[in-house]
Amino acid sequence: MPSVKNKISSLVYVLFNFREAGLVGIIIVLVIILSIFGGKVQYIDPASCKVVMMNKFLQPGNIDKLIKNTSFFAIMAVGVTFVIISGGIDLSVGSIYCISAVGGAMFLNHFGPGRLGDKVVPLPGLVTVGGILLCLSIGAFCGFLNGLMVTSLKIHPFVITLGTMAIYRGVAFIITKAQAYTFFPPQFTDGLIRYRVGEIYPVPMSIMVLVVILGVIFLSKTVTGRYIYAIGGNEQAARFSGIDVNKIKILVYSLCGLTAGIAAMIMLGYYGSASSDVGKGYELDVIAAAVVGGASLSGGYGSPLGALLGALIIQIINNSIVILGIDQNYSQVIVGGLIILAVLFDRVSMSIRETKLKYR
Amino acid sequence: MGKLQIHSISKFFPGVVALDKVSFEINLGECHGIVGENGAGKSTLGRILAGIYQPDEGSIIVNGQRVSFRSPADAKHFGISMVHQELLFCPNLSVAENLFLGNFPNVMGFLRKDKMGKVSKEMLSELGIELDVWQIVGNLSIAQKQMVQIASATSSGAKFIIMDEPTSSLSQIETERLFSLIKLLKERGVTVIYISHRLEEVFRITDRITVLRDGKYIDTLETAQTNESEIISKMVGRDVDLYCKAYLSHNIGKELLRVENLAVEKKIKNINFSLHAGEILGLAGLVGAGRSEIAKAIFGLEMNVKGEIFVEGEKVKIRSPKDAISLGIGFVPEDRKLQGLVLSMTAGENLTLPIINKLQRFSFIQHFREECIIREYFSKLSVKPSNHKINIAAFSGGNQQKVVLSKWLALNCKILILDEPTRGIDVKAKQEIHMLMCELVREGKGILLISSELPELLNLSTRILAVRNGEICGEFLHDEVTQESLLKVMAGVPCQV
Repeated sequence: MPSVKNKISSLVYVLFNFREAGLVGIIIVLVIILSIFGGKVQYIDPASCKVVMMNKFLQPGNIDKLIKNTSFFAIMAVGVTFVIISGGIDLSVGSIYCISAVGGAMFLNHFGPGRLGDKVVPLPGLVTVGGILLCLSIGAFCGFLNGLMVTSLKIHPFVITLGTMAIYRGVAFIITKAQAYTFFPPQFTDGLIRYRVGEIYPVPMSIMVLVVILGVIFLSKTVTGRYIYAIGGNEQAARFSGIDVNKIKILVYSLCGLTAGIAAMIMLGYYGSASSDVGKGYELDVIAAAVVGGASLSGGYGSPLGALLGALIIQIINNSIVILGIDQNYSQVIVGGLIILAVLFDRVSMSIRETKLKYR
Repeated sequence: MGKLQIHSISKFFPGVVALDKVSFEINLGECHGIVGENGAGKSTLGRILAGIYQPDEGSIIVNGQRVSFRSPADAKHFGISMVHQELLFCPNLSVAENLFLGNFPNVMGFLRKDKMGKVSKEMLSELGIELDVWQIVGNLSIAQKQMVQIASATSSGAKFIIMDEPTSSLSQIETERLFSLIKLLKERGVTVIYISHRLEEVFRITDRITVLRDGKYIDTLETAQTNESEIISKMVGRDVDLYCKAYLSHNIGKELLRVENLAVEKKIKNINFSLHAGEILGLAGLVGAGRSEIAKAIFGLEMNVKGEIFVEGEKVKIRSPKDAISLGIGFVPEDRKLQGLVLSMTAGENLTLPIINKLQRFSFIQHFREECIIREYFSKLSVKPSNHKINIAAFSGGNQQKVVLSKWLALNCKILILDEPTRGIDVKAKQEIHMLMCELVREGKGILLISSELPELLNLSTRILAVRNGEICGEFLHDEVTQESLLKVMAGVPCQV
């Protein structure tokens, strides 16, 4: 039947045209592998209170943990994707995440139940809002400083953010005196970020989805988003077209810092504590997520949706090592290798798609 | 006995025939000049001889042996080396290290610096060059780099050395030094192929001169038996029908742009001119004369610009392209791919880049309005393919240039600065762009046209300014000037008139 055939081919075309098709394919393959080889565990169904056997990977607890872990990285990866699209790089996201978390933690702790000795927290709503705003603004401010230095000192962003990576973490270390801060108002933790529906914590996931959606809209629908792609594609041509390149760059780094602040806020609420060594090494996972998600390190290409999928792929790979019972010692080797494979697969599928489009 | 024969060589670039069945011979031990206008194919020929480009047709015959070079290393093997404009050295290494690049003297992998220093010193002193061989190449002057390149060529046994515009960034004294080196090379039996559009120099040092025009071989003459006017008339030719006839406005309007004492340190000085509505003002000059720098200074792309700029009679400050654009100035830059376009974006996105901030509501792009504008200019300039959602990199040079032009037309710029607007694009697109330019001035816009193609300048411009060494050295009305006289002014040859 030609009409059916046409429909199928046009569907295939739409799927081919979808930039993130390769990434979705990778995720589907990983999920299939894990559901087949994942093994079973006993699981108590909360509705019927019966013990059932469930796949280790697919059990709600695991999926929830997976998505929660993904949310930190995916949110930061959206910010780093902005920076990478604009032709820069931000190595300091892990440290911004840490300094925001520590700043917020000190504030929440100071006004929290711990200090006041189990007394009721005065104005808990205000404290919660204050803590959140503090996290976000510390993040955005650190990013702003990165952007300011990148544009005014004319030093490669790799160097600038390598420096601030150490500086921000050092500041976190100094202000906390290497102590962990805990005891936050429950309105912030259990009441907000750890808000529970059955066995699921929906807030981190919702914030992640919101950030990704906002990121997609920002990049594809706004003038500034268009400028970011232009600057990353060809900074000189962008300047020749009258774009204020420095202003956009500062904005991009600030937004990247802001996403680190958002991730830090979620982490604070979820775990209820922070110290100066949270988020160590996160920058590499975050950049890996952005790159797996299709962001080009030479600038001009990338998408927040790709960053989300990239973060998800990395977390599934991490998770699969536990699920499949592989020796933990091998985990780094496997994750590293699979990241390279995932990017390779994505690039190959892209080039196939491009040639198909060309000869249509 | 030994000869370098060039046999029916052709080279095609997308949309352009750079060389069209060029054949001639270069004798061993002579200094052979290759002259022609910008874009005549001189540099392309030099690059083919040096193995940088591969010819699409024809062959090179060295000492009766047909050769084909796949790389500069192949050419070097047959004793042909090129002294480059962009020098192919590692700027971070020393002179000695660069001279031995690829075959460092070593003992089991350990460098023998002593030997390297000694031998490279000998290599240089043989040619009478005095230089600290341990200096970092990046710190040398262009003249010194050239000397080192020549030394490196002769030491590797080069019999033919190609020099492409070697004096374009040399001072007078450095040029003299280069000429005495060329004489020394000739005495030692080395053939020098000297590519230049500076006739005065060509006449001083060459034995024979080959003229190219529009990629075609015109003639080879004994230097002693010819003169500059003969060469110039051969360079220019007479076929200028390819170009759209000028639109010569009889109603030049009000003054749009005036610059007074415009100067950029080390680049341009003392620039004064004004541009009126309905006028195409041509800027003529050799490569490196400072034409593009004038354009960039007006568009806010140069640092430390001195002097005053007036737009429609009002004094303005232009610190960035953004300022210039807000004053109604549009700029089509010289290098389309490097400065004009964002190659990772679609054609439509490129077109609306300067105007997109006007197509917004609450900072959201109004995609429908954007689409309308893109469609309008795609059909107005008949851009092909008409699908603007294709990546701009997939468009031909001519269509890319139409998109760059549309960027400024969509903004409705009053003043357009076009730097080499038709470079590297095919004849049809060229004519279309010429026609468009005429239409624009008829609408009352003013165009500042920079072009290395003299027929284009002569046909389109209402007035022409000649630029040399960063200064305006002559002003001509449309009918006051011929290619010959303009070329003489540009090249600094004294006018007999």
